[in-house]
Amino acid sequence: MKTLFIDCSPKKKLSASGFIAGFTAAFTRGKKVREKLRNRADHERIFEHMEGADSVVFCMPLYVDGVPSHVLPFLKDMENRYKDREEKPAVYVIANNGFIEGRQNEPLMQVMENACARMGTEFHGGLGIGGGVMMNVMRILILVYFGLAVLNLVLSAVNEGVFNAGILLEFGKQVLEVLLLGCGIIAYDLWLAHCINRGRAYGKHYTRIMLPSFVFILCADIFFVISSVIDLGIFRGWLSAKKPSGE
Amino acid sequence: MKLIIHDLARDIEPADTETRVLKADGKYAPCQGCFHCWTKNPATCDLKDSLQEVCRVIGTADDVTVITENWYGGYSPAVKNIMDRAIGTSTPFSTYRGGQMHHTLRYGMHESYKVIVYGDMTEAEENTWKLMTERNACNEGYRTHEFVRISSPEELEGIAL
Repeated sequence: MKTLFIDCSPKKKLSASGFIAGFTAAFTRGKKVREKLRNRADHERIFEHMEGADSVVFCMPLYVDGVPSHVLPFLKDMENRYKDREEKPAVYVIANNGFIEGRQNEPLMQVMENACARMGTEFHGGLGIGGGVMMNVMRILILVYFGLAVLNLVLSAVNEGVFNAGILLEFGKQVLEVLLLGCGIIAYDLWLAHCINRGRAYGKHYTRIMLPSFVFILCADIFFVISSVIDLGIFRGWLSAKKPSGE
Repeated sequence: MKLIIHDLARDIEPADTETRVLKADGKYAPCQGCFHCWTKNPATCDLKDSLQEVCRVIGTADDVTVITENWYGGYSPAVKNIMDRAIGTSTPFSTYRGGQMHHTLRYGMHESYKVIVYGDMTEAEENTWKLMTERNACNEGYRTHEFVRISSPEELEGIAL
């Protein structure tokens, strides 16, 4: 069994789509290939890896209620290459958006379903994730907690000459708290990986980060305030209705 | 002000001085997802091409008409590229609109959003278009929205843009 994961985020690093592609691949059996789709120069390389693939998993961010523009020519290219072929990979989609509601990915999911119909490939379903950007926060938090736990272990060993197992327990508790935020995503994604392994249709499912929406909005607002202070945008007419230059 | 965005091979002449036309010729780069049009240079894209200030053009328009070829129930790449590069029409802050989370609007509410789609279209794609038009209008803050299906650009002659 061969599965091709395509990270369609235009970001070079720290993309939520890349993270969820890697997470899903970890629970997928057989040969796994991960590729990035950022522009037309990537097409040929990705199609080479698509040869002999049983499944293709498109992982992408939601852009203005739809598929990011740079992905559309790839779909057309795939349609032209595969519509007359007999052996075609089944397509799964994992979409994530910056809003809290996973259901906001529905138009994107329909576009992908329509593309599969044109290609003659089987659309095996997709997972729409709300608050997907929090997956990045989760993995950073776990790394920070891990670093702090190691530091505390070393310090307690040096200062007190003992191995403090309580530090590991505390780290485990912190990891569980973080994973609780993503329990919906984890559960639905494991189910998706199971369907890929069995070659089964998954259907369309939507989930989200387990936070009340007003808390998520508050967190997002704070994040953007901090980002805008660091990037200095807050001092450059941050929220003003700027007119086109020359008007 | 009225704005017409189109991906037709031919040019569209603006009907009056209150109408602006933006031709989606595809001679620009796709969005890089950096959010700098929110956090670094508000309402300005980092990419220095013809779309660098496109969010200001779209944001200051009251009525927007989009003419696009059908691509799987969504916009053509050239038109979608413009939309992806225009998220600076909103601010990084979030609010509730239509019962769901959306970004607050840098330019306030707009009047109308009309999408005219040409080209071969399946029934499923038409249904996607209806949903897409409604979602875009809600997301970008338009009071009314309309989806019009035509089979070829020649049919545009009888349609009010």
